[in-house]
Amino acid sequence: MIYEKHYVWSILLRLYHWSLVSSIVALAITGFYINSPWSQTTLEGTGLYPMLTMRNIHGLAGYLFTAAILTRLFLLLFGNRQERILDLLPVTSRNINNLSTTLCSYAYLHDCHDEERLGHNIVAGMIYVVTIIVALFQVASGFYLRLPESIFWQKWGVMLFGTQQHARFEHHLLMWYFIIFAFIHIYLVIWNDLKNPDGITSSIFTGNKFRPRSIK
Amino acid sequence: MIDTAQGTDLDLQVNRRGFLKGCTMVAAALGISEAMIPKLVEAATSAQRPPVIWLHFQECTGCTESLLRASHPDIGRLILEIISLDYHETVMAAAGHQAEKSLHDTMEKYAGKFLCVVEGAIPTKDKGIYCKIAGRTAVDILAEVAPKAAAIIAIGSCASYGGIQAAAPNPTDAKGVMDLVSGTPVINIPGCPPNPISLLGTILHYLTFNRLPITDNLGRPLFAYGRKIHDHCERRAHFDEGRFAEQFGDFGHRNGYCLYKVGCKGPGTFSNCPSARFNDVDVWPVSVGHGCVGCTEPNFWDTMTPFYERLPNVQFPGTAGITDVDSAGKKILSVAAAAIGIHAAIGIGKKLVKGCVCKDDKKGGTNS
Repeated sequence: MIYEKHYVWSILLRLYHWSLVSSIVALAITGFYINSPWSQTTLEGTGLYPMLTMRNIHGLAGYLFTAAILTRLFLLLFGNRQERILDLLPVTSRNINNLSTTLCSYAYLHDCHDEERLGHNIVAGMIYVVTIIVALFQVASGFYLRLPESIFWQKWGVMLFGTQQHARFEHHLLMWYFIIFAFIHIYLVIWNDLKNPDGITSSIFTGNKFRPRSIK
Repeated sequence: MIDTAQGTDLDLQVNRRGFLKGCTMVAAALGISEAMIPKLVEAATSAQRPPVIWLHFQECTGCTESLLRASHPDIGRLILEIISLDYHETVMAAAGHQAEKSLHDTMEKYAGKFLCVVEGAIPTKDKGIYCKIAGRTAVDILAEVAPKAAAIIAIGSCASYGGIQAAAPNPTDAKGVMDLVSGTPVINIPGCPPNPISLLGTILHYLTFNRLPITDNLGRPLFAYGRKIHDHCERRAHFDEGRFAEQFGDFGHRNGYCLYKVGCKGPGTFSNCPSARFNDVDVWPVSVGHGCVGCTEPNFWDTMTPFYERLPNVQFPGTAGITDVDSAGKKILSVAAAAIGIHAAIGIGKKLVKGCVCKDDKKGGTNS
């Protein structure tokens, strides 16, 4: 069978994806440290600042995460066909059809694959939209905690989360969403790659997906 | 002036030097320019002392106890020279009908001019019957006094946000002043108890500028509650350099390391405790080895507990065993891992049973 290459993911989307991946890894590791610092020292005057360093990395990664999320929001509105929000949610008959196909396929009910579709399947799309909303709360609580003296963030923080302690708690709770999301996400990508020959894994590096030439 | 450090006796006859020192300290606490100190002194010595009505509701009188230990100025000078404390259940000489008359007279005579200080939460459940003074409920008294006051100062976490009385399940539906009063400006001086310098600073600010100081979004004056305890803490260097007390009494604790890991809530609490300190002997909880419990924050009794843990506990419905976020997270992650394992196993099992059906299907599908 002859497959042809289709350009699916723009450079901006791939940059968003890998910024998000690297920032989430850095944020989770430094976040665990900040919540419960495991390194202990009794040395003084060494010039080593483990907590300060961790907090600086956390802040830096937080800005990268924020930039990534803002980029994705931009692409949801102005990206290519696969990147736009209308291709992620079950709002068209094509998408609703894909939703049932995908759910059946994930439940091993039949092996049907939506060959025509290049972008995300609708299950993934809906989860991604939820993830971006969760990420926005994570960004807001992060800035509220990071800039405690800012009246702007205090106003929004108190409204959305409550006190600093509330926000810290919710910030920590939402981190687990991202860990569990990443876990399931990687599994489903591998699962899809084993099932379908469209090159889903390499597409996030190259931007290209493959589908048989016969279907136009 | 009480000089505890030098062991001198209580002396209400403060000399002018001591008085100016007190005013300067308040000016420093307020963060106003030294050029304003003469105005502050003028306001504090003015013959026109604003009458103050001090209302006690659901409380422990700890805020008044804290005020009794104030020294800049001391309580005697505050009552007799700076303000005219016409009604205060703990320190007033009058009792019974005399006291009620004093309250009534002040309210009528100085309507719209007096300051009202509220100490304690106001129970609102069952028409407020859980707190009564002279046969009237706290809700009624506040509703009568509040509209006539020029401004209301809610002293302590109870009057500000409900405090311990409002902790879950809040059996008397206790509320803070700002939830019940509208129309009269309310400023919160939370704390359990708050530092008296924050109250005196607010009063002197009001006397000097004829308005209440600027507040944050929770109604607290920024001069006292503008920064986190953590950011002014003397143990902060230990935090940044990764030196922590692991438990009370260990090497780190004895050496004055950061109390973060034994549950200090300084990183989530706004107050001037590390800089203003208490009782003229320059102490505050963290300086004597106990973590901050976050008493100036709304609902601290619910959100800051357990006091010796980093994050609040969370009781997930139906899971008595899960109380902290991380154990919940790990359990959910395990469930997700198990689900993934089962999902993958079904896929592999199906393949083993059916052979390479899927590939054939695909070929068939794409050729057509």
